[in-house]
Amino acid sequence: MMGLTPYLILSAILLVLGIAIVISKRNAIAMLIGVEFILNAATLNLVAFSRHGIGGLSGQTAALFVIVLAAAEAVVALAIFLNFYHTIATVDIDQGDQLKG
Amino acid sequence: MLEAVIFFLLAGLAVAAGVAILLSTSIVRMAYWLITMLIAVGGLYFLLGAYFVGVIQILVYVGGVAVLLVFGVMLTSRQLAPKLRPGRGEVVWLALVGFVLLEALTLSILHTRWQQNAMAPANSVGEIGRSLLGEFLGPFELVSVLLLVAMLGAAYLARPKVPTQGPQHAKGTTVP
Repeated sequence: MMGLTPYLILSAILLVLGIAIVISKRNAIAMLIGVEFILNAATLNLVAFSRHGIGGLSGQTAALFVIVLAAAEAVVALAIFLNFYHTIATVDIDQGDQLKG
Repeated sequence: MLEAVIFFLLAGLAVAAGVAILLSTSIVRMAYWLITMLIAVGGLYFLLGAYFVGVIQILVYVGGVAVLLVFGVMLTSRQLAPKLRPGRGEVVWLALVGFVLLEALTLSILHTRWQQNAMAPANSVGEIGRSLLGEFLGPFELVSVLLLVAMLGAAYLARPKVPTQGPQHAKGTTVP
């Protein structure tokens, strides 16, 4: 019988991996992959708490919301990246400095 | 015992996929490893007894988001390979930050006394549906509006540009 702790530690590892991918990659689509890692870590936490915690089914419902939000985020981000690519012919995010931010 | 074996198999697969993405320089391989990680996490949902969330994970993520990402890769990849590798200083900082963050999270997880419930919740699609349309009705409606907005926004952002009469488009618009 496994408890809550292994799932939480796996979720922490996935979160750190996602953050590392977002920081280290220069390709915008690779950054999006890192964001998917972070969101999956959060969802894994929610489902693990739903099974082993005291929240009941609320965790699974919240996990469904996270999945829907991740899909919407991916769609809009890819549309923005396509526009970015059409404007300056690359998806290297270091080139996107027209706004001087 | 079997549960532990399956857990460590799937967890190792997910972590290996993350490390492979971190080390890889080919964006197509990254997309492949992302699909591997998504399937492994979906398997973990099945292991946790959340069958509906597992099915939705496979359907929406692997069937939708991952395929979308592959399309994005195919539409945008062009001579990006030399840009993908970070410098040596960046790697050192990244390892430091990642290690500190992982250590802090792991210590806080291990030193917390979690309130655990040994019994699994009554788990059926019907219960989740009642929860969605009862307790979570407000967020449910908000999310459906957000999906509509995201769909329209993506269609607006990705639409083909209508050539205008501006001077910067003069080469593209050769009107007879």
